[in-house]
Amino acid sequence: MGKAVERLTRLVQSEARYDIPAGELQADQIAALNERLQERRDAIKVVGRRADDAGLEQVRSLEEVVPLLLPHTAYKSYPESWLAQKRWDRLSKWLDTVSTYRVPVDTVSAAAEVDDWIENLAAQGFFVSCSSGTTGKSAVLVASQADMDWCKTEAIAAYTWGSGVKPAKDRRIFGMAPVAQVPRNLATGEAYTTALQDPNYERFAYPVPPITVGSLTQMVVLRKAIADGTAKPEELARFEKMSAARQQAVNEAVGITAQAVVEARSSKLHVSGLWSGLYAVAKAVRELGYAAPDFNPENSIYVGGGLKRANLPDDYREFVYQTFNIQPQRNYQNYSMQELHSGMPRCREGSRYHVPPWVVPLILDKSGDSLLPPLRDEYEGRAAFFDLSIDGRWGGVISGDRISIDFRPCACGNKGPSIRDTIARYADLEGDDKIGCAGTVDAYVRGVA
Amino acid sequence: MNSTAPLNNDTSNAISAPFFVKGELLESSDSVQRSRDLGVNFATPILNLDRIVHARNEVPPLLNVPLAEIIDFLVETGQRIVAADNPFMQECIERMCTTHILPRSVVETSAKYAAAYLDKRTLIAEVAQNFPDPQALDGWVPKQDYKGRRSFVRAFAPRLIHVLPGNSPGVAVKSIAQGALVKAINLFKMSSADPFTMVAILRTMASIDPQHAIVKSMSAVYWRGGDASVERVLYRPQYFDKIVAWGGGDAITNVVKYLGPGFQLISFDPKTSISMVGKEAFVSEAVLTQVADLAAADVMTLNQEACVASRFIYLEADQADADRFCTKLHGCIAERAARSGDVRPLSMDLREQIETLMMLDDEYGVWGKPDGKGIVIRSDEPVDFHPINKTVNVVRIDQLDDAVRHINVATQTVGFYPFDRMPSYRDRLASGGAQRIVHLGEAGPSTIGNPHDAMYPLHRFVHWMAHEDGCDP
Repeated sequence: MGKAVERLTRLVQSEARYDIPAGELQADQIAALNERLQERRDAIKVVGRRADDAGLEQVRSLEEVVPLLLPHTAYKSYPESWLAQKRWDRLSKWLDTVSTYRVPVDTVSAAAEVDDWIENLAAQGFFVSCSSGTTGKSAVLVASQADMDWCKTEAIAAYTWGSGVKPAKDRRIFGMAPVAQVPRNLATGEAYTTALQDPNYERFAYPVPPITVGSLTQMVVLRKAIADGTAKPEELARFEKMSAARQQAVNEAVGITAQAVVEARSSKLHVSGLWSGLYAVAKAVRELGYAAPDFNPENSIYVGGGLKRANLPDDYREFVYQTFNIQPQRNYQNYSMQELHSGMPRCREGSRYHVPPWVVPLILDKSGDSLLPPLRDEYEGRAAFFDLSIDGRWGGVISGDRISIDFRPCACGNKGPSIRDTIARYADLEGDDKIGCAGTVDAYVRGVA
Repeated sequence: MNSTAPLNNDTSNAISAPFFVKGELLESSDSVQRSRDLGVNFATPILNLDRIVHARNEVPPLLNVPLAEIIDFLVETGQRIVAADNPFMQECIERMCTTHILPRSVVETSAKYAAAYLDKRTLIAEVAQNFPDPQALDGWVPKQDYKGRRSFVRAFAPRLIHVLPGNSPGVAVKSIAQGALVKAINLFKMSSADPFTMVAILRTMASIDPQHAIVKSMSAVYWRGGDASVERVLYRPQYFDKIVAWGGGDAITNVVKYLGPGFQLISFDPKTSISMVGKEAFVSEAVLTQVADLAAADVMTLNQEACVASRFIYLEADQADADRFCTKLHGCIAERAARSGDVRPLSMDLREQIETLMMLDDEYGVWGKPDGKGIVIRSDEPVDFHPINKTVNVVRIDQLDDAVRHINVATQTVGFYPFDRMPSYRDRLASGGAQRIVHLGEAGPSTIGNPHDAMYPLHRFVHWMAHEDGCDP
């Protein structure tokens, strides 16, 4: 790790990390970006290629790092058919093109299923996380042991700052969403348990079957088989049945969780999940006849993700807070994405997401091609970030999000850059009324939906 | 009534896109819309839904106009479309170049090509191929069955909504002609990529005779596809019989929910076209050069924006031969791309996927760069992205039979070489779902009146009406 990267990432321990104006950080950030390029250009094939194409030897400005940012689709660029054909050797070779460390292809490729492959990789120090591929491909993200350690530290640091809760092992954690069992989630889950969970109690486990990468990618594989015309009707019927069973487990989990949280109501709780799941459990708790006065006034909450197109009543937030007796100051929100290993916690006074010093915000035009001229005040664009903390792969990514960033001090007093609570996905903003007669198989054939 | 919500009030840089309603031009900038492809604004009038629906208690205006007269009118329209002094078409091409993703020369050529469809013999053949007895369009055709029961049958003029695609200006001309041949009441829903061509052609027709029934039978308007405030109202059997939709994905998903008895879908589906090239391509260097050129012609049809444009070439060859073919093919594609002046960059997503394949060089061969100037990717399995914008995937196979399993219900045209092996493949291609098998290099043209998307469309457009007339004793 370079000196500038170290100086910036060490700030994770600093109370004042969100209070440093961007101007004061810039020289160090550019030096750190250059350190990352020098260390990684030969190690990460995809980065070396981009640097060569751009004729880039040194990073001396933020503009120069733009060609080195990978689109969020980069981690989905593997040929999907390999997943269906269980070609772990080829997928391992692909993984190697985005990995800092050389993937031992021969050692890890002997695997029956994708979960076995991922286990083999983990045994060699390559921790692979996947996003769900409900409608598209799964992103496959590789990370190192150092990354796993960092995620544990950073998650708790951001939570502490954003929620104002000092970790004291005096809470009971209630996750109210099914969580994919991927290394990164397991690492942060473990960190939360260590920091917050009262050791006198077992941590509540959300009662749904484990979601493994295999179960996430199964749908992707089946969708491809449907498009190719090789999926047999019975295979589809089995999948539909399994999906229905999963949905039922999710539905039943709400009642079981509500019951458990009611039983634990006298303890200090930390509840977490997505709005849809939190709302469902809150509603079940109310139906059991319990509400705010029954719960501990020091309860805290962490809501991940956005609304994810869930259809909820207008007052869903208040309904959730008032059910679990959450005071506004212990409501932790965090802006992050799969591709980053660091979060941007929301401050309680200004309701803005604060960018830590080791994450370099790069605001691009809508198409993601060029850096917008940085302004002193607030402006909008496509979010790209370089997370200098990332070790096992490249830290620079272009997101699908439209954000509004401000380099002036926030109402909370912190002088670092902050992002307004109006984050939206470009894909959701655009809608789609483009039609043409030239189409893909997917556009023609009904998929798994 | 205000049905299309204005996107914003900034009309200063919006291009005017008037509506045409039953012979009347409606122009104003009440509502500013956005063309998604190029991100430019265009201004339309506010849509008045009452005006674009014909009451059911009046018979369609074209019903008793003889087919011969309709054909003559269409032929004259075709001549006026290409006339140098036609102000509507000239203005249209100017406007199109602002909103359409294709370059000017391609737009101009396709307008000319489209007008060629309005040929007397072509139109007569189209009708003759679609109807066992075209007389049923002009009147009630007497019938009698073997039991002596008498009746009259009419191919009655339907009420059609045409949801037009944005990728092929030629579809506008064809839709007008087909709608007129079946004497339909036609409402054309234009796309944001081309809210001009249809109106320009209809204005050309109105300049021939503004009072003609054919002109009174046509309306062309724009609303944003999927806008429920319009579609929930219009997509009903009380107003229309059939919806003729080009395209897939969201465009069709939106329509499907309104279907039911009396309101049917005729879909010209989104299709993928491919090529199959046998080992005979390698008999000599000269033949290989020629075959590569034919293959490139199919790939580059409408710069690969059309559904007949090839995207995958299944090639019967070993890797060394396949690479020789790819080198030549890339040369031909790049040359055609350069000549067309089309320099649209590849989308970020597509570029990323291709760049990844370039790094996996023991599995893939890549000719060219993902820079929008033409690129060929050689692999042993088809790539799992959709090759578009001058991108073609050459899939090397040991024998042509191996290509058959890649044919599916979304396969439209199969360009084939050598031509004499086509009969031994056509049954299996049809069984897999394909709809056309053509000589390599001839994906574009088709025999006049042939089925399209596995159907005779005009036959499906009309409202088949029977008049039972008793039985002979």
